[in-house]
Amino acid sequence: MANIRKEFTKVYDKYVKKIYRFVLLKVNSAEIAEDLTSEVFMRGWQSFKGQGPDKIDNLQAFLYQIARNLLADHYRQETKAQLVSVEYAPLLPDARQDLEEMSFIQSDMERVKAALVNINDDYREVIVWYYLDELKVPEIAKILDKSEPTVRVLIHRALHALKEELK
Amino acid sequence: MKQSQLVRQLKSLRELEPSDNWVSFTKERIFAGEPEPMGLRSGLLSFFPLFRYKLALAPIISVLVLIGLFGFTQQTLPGDFLFSVKKMTESAQVTFSSSAEKPETQLKLANKRLEELSRIAESNQVGNLDPAIKEFQSNIAQATKDLAAINVTSSDPLMIKGLLAETKKMTENKERVESVLGAIIGDTGELDNAILQIERQTAAYLITDLEKRTLQESDLQLLNQARDDYNAGNYATSLEKIWILSNK
Repeated sequence: MANIRKEFTKVYDKYVKKIYRFVLLKVNSAEIAEDLTSEVFMRGWQSFKGQGPDKIDNLQAFLYQIARNLLADHYRQETKAQLVSVEYAPLLPDARQDLEEMSFIQSDMERVKAALVNINDDYREVIVWYYLDELKVPEIAKILDKSEPTVRVLIHRALHALKEELK
Repeated sequence: MKQSQLVRQLKSLRELEPSDNWVSFTKERIFAGEPEPMGLRSGLLSFFPLFRYKLALAPIISVLVLIGLFGFTQQTLPGDFLFSVKKMTESAQVTFSSSAEKPETQLKLANKRLEELSRIAESNQVGNLDPAIKEFQSNIAQATKDLAAINVTSSDPLMIKGLLAETKKMTENKERVESVLGAIIGDTGELDNAILQIERQTAAYLITDLEKRTLQESDLQLLNQARDDYNAGNYATSLEKIWILSNK
């Protein structure tokens, strides 16, 4: 048990910032990103402990997959909550509105960040992985379970979509 | 916006990081409730509960192994690898018997050897024959020695009766085994003499004892017959009559 814990500590230290960033660029809220990231590692630890590290083929891909699933669950629940309480719910901030507000700030980083939130999930994911986390195309292909040429095309289209969003 | 410019801006997003406090707090939360990793000191200490657990398990396993071994060795024959274990348990049986019970125990063991000889003869295990005969002779020699040490006057008549019954059974078994093997498996002359002496002494002692009692006419006749048998040297027959009188 002690060895597994030590190994997972290393995994945590290596990937926690990447996973946090990956989640943050989707949810655009530090608080939610922290909650979801901690849940990713909680689930990761349970699997790591239960199955054993040898059973997990690619730890990075495994953690990103958990994060993607959690994000999907998060947005599914959020949609449900909106459907139930739409009459009483306060007006949700519009990401586009945020983008307009942020344009006044003229911060390049904030603009790109906001633009990333608005593009297609698949595009955002490959941009984060390829340009921020510097994952290689084969690694992204493995996470997405797609062929390498498909991933290359996806990266190209994602960058184009981001450019359009920033216009 | 040029692509290189966009990529540079994207890379600037690497600055987005969680706070160090949150990172360490979350790490602690993940492992909350999990046992602490063992350092050298804690590792050594935690060895002891395991050690205690193993200590508790060891006697249980040993006892189970011994029970299994004991059960298995009871089926072994003289000359077999584990017969020595069986013999050890028998030696312990003799050691823990009182001096008065020792001859009977030895005779029971001699009977056991005769039963083993029967099994050997039935399964034609020629290799076990010689060790079995030697073991039988050893038991008989020891039984003879123990019988010579018996003091009839201070012994329980019932114990003497049991001893004689065991001797009779042994003699019958020996004759049966000898007829199967077609060979004499041991000279029991000394044992017969020892038994004869015990029968004589026991009969004399019990006749004297009965003579002191007030008996009915029929019992008195039986006692006279027993005395006649005794005087004729038929001690076993005399004792059979004495047992009848003693049981009344």
